[in-house]
Amino acid sequence: MSAKRDLMSIFTRRSLIVMGAGGVGLAGIGVRLLWLQGEDAFNKEYTKAADSNRFDLQPIVPPRGVIYDRFGDALALASKDYRVSIVPEETENLEEAIRALGDLLGMAPETVARRIREAKNRRAFDEVLIKNNLEWPQFAAVNVRLPELKGVRAVVGEQRYYPYKEAFAHPVGYVQKASQGEIDRVEAADREAAGLPAKAQPGETFDSSHARYLRTPDVRIGKAGLEAQLENTLQGAPGWKQVEVNARGRVMNELAGIAEQPKPGDAVVLSIDAELQRTAMESLADESGAVVVMDIVTGEIIVMASAPGFDPNDFVNGINAAKFRELNGWDHKPLFHKAVTGTYSPGSTFKVSSAMAVLEAGIDPKQKLNCPGYFFYGGRAFHCWQKKGHGSIDLHDAVKHSCDVYFYQMSIRMGQQHMADVARQLGFGQKFDISLPSVSPGVVPDQAWWTSKRPKEPWPAGMTLNTVIGQGDVLASPLQLCVMAARIAARGRAVIPRLVIEGGKIPPPAPATLLPFPAAHFDYLHAAMFGVCNEPGGTATRWGELNLARDMSTGRVLDVKDAPPGSPRVRMAGKTGSAQVRSISAAERAGGVRMGESIAWVLRDNALFVCFAPTDAPRYACAVVVEHGEHGASAAAPVAHDVMRATLMRDPASRTAMKLARADKPEKPG
Amino acid sequence: MTFSSPSTGTRRLADKWKRLHWGIITVLCWLAAIGVVMHLSVAGDAWNGQPLSHGTRFAVVLAVALMLAMIDLRFWLAIAYPLYAFSLLLLVAVDLIGAVHMGAQRWLDIGPLSLQPSEIMKIALVLALARYYHQLDARNSSRAISLIPPLLMIAAPTALVMKQPDLGTSLLLAGAGFGLMFLAGIRWRYIVIGALIAGAAGFWAYEFKLQDYQRDRIATFLDPEADPLGAGYHVAQSKIAIGSAGLLGQGYQKGSQSQLDFLPEKHTDFIFTMITEEFGLAGAFIVLGLFAALLTMTMMVAVRARTLFGRLASGGVAITLALYVFINTAMVIGLVPVVGIPLPLLSFGGTAMLTIMMGMALVLSVHVHRDYSPGSSGFLW
Repeated sequence: MSAKRDLMSIFTRRSLIVMGAGGVGLAGIGVRLLWLQGEDAFNKEYTKAADSNRFDLQPIVPPRGVIYDRFGDALALASKDYRVSIVPEETENLEEAIRALGDLLGMAPETVARRIREAKNRRAFDEVLIKNNLEWPQFAAVNVRLPELKGVRAVVGEQRYYPYKEAFAHPVGYVQKASQGEIDRVEAADREAAGLPAKAQPGETFDSSHARYLRTPDVRIGKAGLEAQLENTLQGAPGWKQVEVNARGRVMNELAGIAEQPKPGDAVVLSIDAELQRTAMESLADESGAVVVMDIVTGEIIVMASAPGFDPNDFVNGINAAKFRELNGWDHKPLFHKAVTGTYSPGSTFKVSSAMAVLEAGIDPKQKLNCPGYFFYGGRAFHCWQKKGHGSIDLHDAVKHSCDVYFYQMSIRMGQQHMADVARQLGFGQKFDISLPSVSPGVVPDQAWWTSKRPKEPWPAGMTLNTVIGQGDVLASPLQLCVMAARIAARGRAVIPRLVIEGGKIPPPAPATLLPFPAAHFDYLHAAMFGVCNEPGGTATRWGELNLARDMSTGRVLDVKDAPPGSPRVRMAGKTGSAQVRSISAAERAGGVRMGESIAWVLRDNALFVCFAPTDAPRYACAVVVEHGEHGASAAAPVAHDVMRATLMRDPASRTAMKLARADKPEKPG
Repeated sequence: MTFSSPSTGTRRLADKWKRLHWGIITVLCWLAAIGVVMHLSVAGDAWNGQPLSHGTRFAVVLAVALMLAMIDLRFWLAIAYPLYAFSLLLLVAVDLIGAVHMGAQRWLDIGPLSLQPSEIMKIALVLALARYYHQLDARNSSRAISLIPPLLMIAAPTALVMKQPDLGTSLLLAGAGFGLMFLAGIRWRYIVIGALIAGAAGFWAYEFKLQDYQRDRIATFLDPEADPLGAGYHVAQSKIAIGSAGLLGQGYQKGSQSQLDFLPEKHTDFIFTMITEEFGLAGAFIVLGLFAALLTMTMMVAVRARTLFGRLASGGVAITLALYVFINTAMVIGLVPVVGIPLPLLSFGGTAMLTIMMGMALVLSVHVHRDYSPGSSGFLW
């Protein structure tokens, strides 16, 4: 290169290089643009990403299936919900607007403050619920003022409603918003099904539609009772509509179309008669207890009452903490389903099963045993409830008078296993699937059960004596007691209880099997239980008189006054029971068993009663438990008396039950 | 040094007007018009606001640029060093008393005016370097010692801008400065040695001087898609918009990514993405074509100028413009990190438009005075 470089020609050369570089750069950009288009043409990755940005699926909540009683009365249905909400961005001053609404609706200042906080934490275009469940006058008051209340929306929504309130709280249950835990579980399950790790990775686009649906404000899921157990039937399938949203999630366009129509939930029909259920709840009044009534022919449960109840409507929008604490803390346990989840020592009602065991053991029921009021066994005195004793007594009278000592002696002759076998055949220790959660199987003690609990210890001798009178470790739910009464009443047909009679993919009832007990044994027991309620000296003789008679021309059961003169009386047969909830020490017994006001309510005996009617042609069986009612005859039998009387007069089994219309759902062949 | 009139004497204004580069002016108008159309798309056909503001701003700045183009080249030469010194002073002032907007200290608030000295520096640096090489004779220009002043002239503003922090602008300053030195004819061996030293220094700093978290930060910066919800969100959304555009795009005002706000900064740094989404590859290539034409014409103005000052000034502006266009478009398609460089004449924003148009005024002036020749009567000194 020359010493004097020609800068001008160097410049020209280099500017060509610069232009070349610029050309290459711009060409690179162009190639990259083409490349991105090519990629998209090949796998549509970017188009899909743009669409998934732009379109959002919003759930359409399907109507939840109605729950009917056996005659078509709705127990759980959708009802109008008048609600007022506010759109923050449409108000001039959000706080003032909410305060004004609060004044208008008479809301507590704390609630108003909470709503203001909520509204401030949400996106400005999200509707915030201020109050729902409004009475019509309040709702109308807001509606009238809508023009001046900027940003306020008054809408009529739908929500689950339980018209019978307390009466069906336990069998029907209630719905609530899904909890965060439930949503997380659903999301985790969907993620697993999609083959993804349990925790979301940053930037991934997986979206569980099920979880998204559960997060939708209007969606409720069954949390208790049938609502929970039949969730899949009642819920239906959500629909999805496509909406166009912007980057902040605001809906820009609703008309993008419906991606999937919602499928309404299926209705179900229960075997319960709402009218009789209400009677049962009224009969239990302020007591804590349960009533179960069954049709002994079909096994259909006519009444399933658990008292005290609670208003399930309080739970639908989230129950307030103070109310929940009150329900949860009360010793009457209103949230507990006593009819199927509660288990009790059956007490003397178990003697029905024990008497059958005596007959089955081939023992002559006419054989008399002496009851001096106590029985020594294993170095210990076992007492009869009748301190002075029953004297010489046979099986019939032992049932009628509920003599403990007779059964103590018989239990030793029969043995525990024999008693347990008979009890199981009558329904004890069995878990019945009646589409309810938490159905208790109860306990029937025998050697196998004992070994599984305490493998090292020998069978305790006193256990046999306790079992035969329904004390000790025997536990049964009111439902099981009713099944026992039904199987006795049905002369050995192994009736299986049913609660859902239509809908809910419930298989048709299997034909009941026959228990291998001779008819004569049932005749004997029927007579003995008749004696309890109708013969002098029977423990429930006061309550056997139902004052009912059968009009022979129509076959209907009527009050004696209304029936033609000379119509045959309709009677019931039963068995009382009183079960200790604590063991009584010898010292206490010596001082006289204290009862009534002298001891705390929770320590008083449970009162029980099982029965069936009419005695000449049994149709209904009933079991009643009154917690801490002390005497079956005085606390449980009157309830059974009222409920059975009402049931016999109404005779739900003779009337046609509701049929769900099947026209829209043709049976699939095969 | 003395200033004397060129042999051709001062041309009359009408004469100069005829000598304006109307090709360049036409392309500038087209680009600004496309910008107005895109701002209209964002605004939903509402003229008031950004579309009108963009249009008026361009019209005013263009008028000013045309007037500046009439001014004798000697004026530019005369103000080169003072303007550079003044800009550098402003940059120091920003560092000391500047206002902080959006996390960076770039602005000087002077009464109602918000001044961004780094923008003035883009033109001032080009002028100052052109001035420096113009006065250097060829022998001196090849000596190593003469590399030092221009390197210092580049390094000072670059460092000050980097400190603000404004990585994009400092890259632009450094890029334009080195580009201009290249055009000025520094020897290849120095270029190679400089590149080797820079590489080695960078490697040494990365390996021995930086903490782990700093290295992580660099990694994220270079590969933003590793962090799709943070730094990479812009790029990811931009790629989706461009990738789903197709040949002719989604249509005017129908780009879902832009119109539904999934694409951030769509009217400023990411306007090229919006053009592509709504008008497809066709629209993108038209815009790239217009820039290519503008750059070519600007470089041709440089090549045709007869003074080294005119050549280097025009070439420097061309390189600055090319860097703007390349960094911006490469950024929106994820080829380079997001550094916040607008697309000239299209992106909304007054400062960048002013800078570019002042640069173009310089180019137009060089073109108007292209016949000034060195040597004949000792042009310019």
